[in-house]
Amino acid sequence: MRIRVETSSGMPITRQIAAQIRAQCASGVLKPGDRLPSVRALAAELAVNQNTILRVYERLTAEGLLERRHGDGTFVAEHVPTGQMKAQRQLLRQEIVKVAELAKTLGVDAEEVRRLLDDVME
Amino acid sequence: MTETAIELRGVTKSYGSKQVLTGLDLSVPKGSVLGLLGTNGSGKTTMIKCALGLIRPQSGETRLLGESSWTLSAEAKMRIGYVPQVINLYQWMKVRHLIEYTSAFYPNWNYDLVARLIAEWSIPLEDRVGPLSVGQLQKLAILLALGHEPELLLLDEPAASLDPLARRQFLQMIIDLAEPGKRTVLFSTHITSDLERVADSVAILKSGRIAWHGLLEDLKEQTHVSLEDSFLEMHDESKQ
Repeated sequence: MRIRVETSSGMPITRQIAAQIRAQCASGVLKPGDRLPSVRALAAELAVNQNTILRVYERLTAEGLLERRHGDGTFVAEHVPTGQMKAQRQLLRQEIVKVAELAKTLGVDAEEVRRLLDDVME
Repeated sequence: MTETAIELRGVTKSYGSKQVLTGLDLSVPKGSVLGLLGTNGSGKTTMIKCALGLIRPQSGETRLLGESSWTLSAEAKMRIGYVPQVINLYQWMKVRHLIEYTSAFYPNWNYDLVARLIAEWSIPLEDRVGPLSVGQLQKLAILLALGHEPELLLLDEPAASLDPLARRQFLQMIIDLAEPGKRTVLFSTHITSDLERVADSVAILKSGRIAWHGLLEDLKEQTHVSLEDSFLEMHDESKQ
């Protein structure tokens, strides 16, 4: 799985990993029913503590994004709860707010930003 | 209830007039990987040695795996691994012989694990211990402490002398060994980036006491800065 961990950041590693798994579910890189790496394997791959990965999986399971099937592993849930979708939109909105602020500072108007966004999203 | 692996209550220790530990409390639950952070001379080594029963505190109580540190049974000792900061091994022995000699003390010695580490860490089996470099000695000492797969592992500045490659391998080894809920690891360090990867909780030793102890993520949720910044903040004299 493509996940990056930044140790010298103020954001807890658990949050960093959870955010990236959420983003991958939202973007479709991870699809419903996909199996995630085992706690041990992901911990080894990212070189972080196994308890950290375990907590991320537990948290995302509680949110309904993941499903832990006993003795079988951890999977992306078949039905992602609607609250989760709202949370994704919220996440995206926060990023767009930053872009809007930057655009204002640079004197780029909304029309231009829309055009740039269309370009990037193609 | 989670059992505690390490229990220190009101521990004081001074060397002559120099007070090192001033009523230190620390309780480490089984299964956690705790990074002990402190400046040079803050008493990390003294704390670890008190916990192990290698030196006796003037007052307070120290327990490991439920037993008093000072009167640890042979059974408890078999479940503990320790790598001191200053490594003192039999200089005249060949590495191969030292490993064989150590393995003989432990009926549960894991020969496969040791063979794997010897290969991964390029341990020079035919060399004598005496002329080994500090980094090689540290690897060897870690290997000897891991061979019996201890439930409780205490490491005093374990990665300090390792090169970046050996350090990453060593950290990955600790991560692999520290299965959630099974093995407890305490390691002292001043390298905060190592600690952030390997540890799930952190204890900060300052003025002879534990100034902060808890989950690493809780510390970051409170402070929103890196561990290094939190540590520097706690030691910023101008803000006290």
